[in-house]
Amino acid sequence: MNALSKLTATILAVASVTIASPARALDKPTGDVILTVRGPDLKNANAGDTAQFDRDTLQALEKRTGTMETPWTSGKVEFSGPLLRAVLSAAGAHGQKLKIIALNDYSAEIPYEDATKLDTMLALTMNGKDMSVREKGPLFLVSPSDRDPGLSNEKYFARSVWQIKEIEVWE
Amino acid sequence: MIRQARHNGDVIRRASKTTVVLQVFSVALLLGLAYMAVDIVKRYSTLQDGIRENALWSVYQFDREARRLHELVHLYLAQGPQSGIAVKTLTTRYDILYSRMNILEQANFERQFVLNPEIGQRIAAIQDTVYGIVAPFDALAAGKDVAKEQLLEVDGKLETLLGATEDLVIFTNNWVSTNRAEKRSGLMTLQVQTVVLVGLLVACVFFLIFNLRRQLRSVRRAGLDLEAMATELNESYLAAEAGNRAKSQFMATMGHEVRTPLNAILGTAELLELQTLPQGMLAGVQTIRRSGNALLELINEILDYAKIEHGNVDVEMRPVGVRALAESTIEMVRDRASENGNLLELALPDNFTMPVILSDPTRLRQITLNLLSNAIKFTRDGVVTLRIAELATSGPGCLRVEVSDTGIGIDNASIDKLFQPFSQVDSSISRKYGGTGLGLTICKQIVEAMGGRIGVESARGKGSTFWFEIPVKAARIEESEDHGMNDAQAAVALKTLHILLVEDNAVNQQVAAGFLRHLGQNVKIANDGFEAISAFEKDKFDLILMDMQMPNLDGIEATRRIRALPDGQAVSIIAMTANASEDDRRLCHEAGMTGFETKPVTMPKLRDIIARTEQIVDPGQMASVKAAPPERDSEFDTLYEQRRAELIEALGEEGFHELLDSFFDDAREIILKLRSTASPKDQRTIDHLLHAMKGAAASVGLGEIAVTAQAFRSGDFSPGRLEELEHLLDAQKHRLAA
Repeated sequence: MNALSKLTATILAVASVTIASPARALDKPTGDVILTVRGPDLKNANAGDTAQFDRDTLQALEKRTGTMETPWTSGKVEFSGPLLRAVLSAAGAHGQKLKIIALNDYSAEIPYEDATKLDTMLALTMNGKDMSVREKGPLFLVSPSDRDPGLSNEKYFARSVWQIKEIEVWE
Repeated sequence: MIRQARHNGDVIRRASKTTVVLQVFSVALLLGLAYMAVDIVKRYSTLQDGIRENALWSVYQFDREARRLHELVHLYLAQGPQSGIAVKTLTTRYDILYSRMNILEQANFERQFVLNPEIGQRIAAIQDTVYGIVAPFDALAAGKDVAKEQLLEVDGKLETLLGATEDLVIFTNNWVSTNRAEKRSGLMTLQVQTVVLVGLLVACVFFLIFNLRRQLRSVRRAGLDLEAMATELNESYLAAEAGNRAKSQFMATMGHEVRTPLNAILGTAELLELQTLPQGMLAGVQTIRRSGNALLELINEILDYAKIEHGNVDVEMRPVGVRALAESTIEMVRDRASENGNLLELALPDNFTMPVILSDPTRLRQITLNLLSNAIKFTRDGVVTLRIAELATSGPGCLRVEVSDTGIGIDNASIDKLFQPFSQVDSSISRKYGGTGLGLTICKQIVEAMGGRIGVESARGKGSTFWFEIPVKAARIEESEDHGMNDAQAAVALKTLHILLVEDNAVNQQVAAGFLRHLGQNVKIANDGFEAISAFEKDKFDLILMDMQMPNLDGIEATRRIRALPDGQAVSIIAMTANASEDDRRLCHEAGMTGFETKPVTMPKLRDIIARTEQIVDPGQMASVKAAPPERDSEFDTLYEQRRAELIEALGEEGFHELLDSFFDDAREIILKLRSTASPKDQRTIDHLLHAMKGAAASVGLGEIAVTAQAFRSGDFSPGRLEELEHLLDAQKHRLAA
């Protein structure tokens, strides 16, 4: 891949994200796939019947940043990443619940409302740095406990899956 | 009743003490509970701190990841690239294990877990192994080849790691279980303590309620008891008051009854002294008179005190000449003073700024006499001085009267007791000098009633000075009158007055009219109130002698009507009554009567009334009257015989017998009436008839009949005893006729 084509791809990708709308088809990821969304009827499937995301695609989605405490980190930590609902809408998903699956096959089921009603994010960076697998990366589901302290409990911590690789959407 | 009230008080006091104790106890329990609540809240807040990672879960996960990595490495080594295991998978597994290691190091486990030294050591050992094999995996991830020996070494290290992680899992599990059991037992203890405290508190509250109920019950019972007590007290008070009133009434009656015979004794003794008597007898008669006087004084004192104790000291303001009063008073005790060998001195200023004052002469004389008598009594062969002075004050005038003596004196300790009733300086004094001990009390009461004060300065052996000071006002000289001492003059010459005698009883009419005519007076008779009014309208009178109890119209009402007539203001009206009670006196005064005399009517009394009245009336025709008392036989045994003699003197022998005849006629009529109405139902009529009988008998000097009739009145009467009275009447009639 020469420099020109890389540039073109980037421009294209940026353009596609900027103009992105739920109805619009999701482009095939150009970088390493770090997240796969599966579902019975994904509108924007880009790899078979799944939607795949690389880091750049995810970075381009609507995102938020929050500083909070978690049981697995020491002190307050700043997380930043796309909103879960932005990811799901990019995939053109709809359903009742979600199953978040980690690299070690740990999984947690969460209601779909956690994505729509809460500003739940899929954190890509911690304290401004990308997270490696060794640092619970690449994706870390973070509830907005900075906005609602009521979310700082075991129920939401159990849903806070890290080292996410897949999201299954269930009817 | 009082014991009951005291018992109630005790119960209430005890109950309130218990309540206080229970309250203190409750407060202590509440504080204990509050402390426990704080403790429980603290413990729960640790539990509820959500940002905690489950240690056992993390250790278990770590163990699992270590196992998976070991399996992968083992397979990779055994079968090489044919195993189908991508290098990427291997490195990812290591990365996951690495991240799990991070969790064990950094996550927020419970403090006790983190601080447990053994756990710390185990984790440190595991850490060494995990970070020790980072190099080959980093190399693999970078796409470099790694020697098989290196991987074998990693496999061996992972083998030992598995043992360590398994041990850590078991250890953590045990630790968590123990920790939970300990926490639970701690919480249990706390719960038990709380339950015990709450139980105690409930018991406390229960006791409090019980106690309050008991207290309330006692308070209610105490209230009822108090109410009952108040009622009882009130009843007792009323009973005592009624008893006291009855006593006073009795005293007044008795005083009257006692004084009358005593006066007779004294009069008789005085008459006897005028006779020529053998020497021994004269001394005896003098003793009788002196003792009688002393007795009369005593009785007067007691009666005065009874009256004062009952709350009525009457003070009657009249113009009084100070000098005359002092002189006459000192004359009254001169004899007694010389009997004790005392010199009497009168010290008056040369000029009084108020020679005539407005005061009560009777009371003034009474007090002064009392002080003088005491001074004389307690002084032998000394000097008694009566000193009167006007004190210079800015306001109204003040009169100071002092009686000094050179007698035995009084020591300081005894002075305080002086003015208290029934107390004499000591009992030896009362044995030696006699007296009731009431004199000074009476003086004090009277002086205070007049708005003054009384006191004494004395020392034992140096004599005493008793003094009193009363506020006085000046009076006009013309009004000054003093008729206490002018009996003698009055007896010499009386003016002839026009007198209306109002009396329903024929015998009493004859007696009074006889006396009045004997005194040279002009008498007209009215039988009841109505006759009196019509007589008054027709004729002009200087004096009306008014009986109180009369049929048709009684004395009070008649007086009221006469006073209401155009000319009815000027005439003197004197009430004549057998009942000398205070109430009667008040009634007479209110009806407008000028004065008041008790029955039976005597010549001196009538003479006194006329003398008093004539000072008001213009000087008229002089009537010459023989000076009383005249010479008499020496056989006066009783008051009633003296009375008869008086009557005979006034009416003459013939007139007296006429009077007796009409008395016996009346008496027969009364007996007949008594017989016909002799049923107990008509008690009032019977009483009225007996009263008439008694009055008439006393008037004509038939003492035995009067006494019997009076005895019948006071409850001894029965129809059967009527004959007794009849026999008595017959016997008297025969004796007098003889």
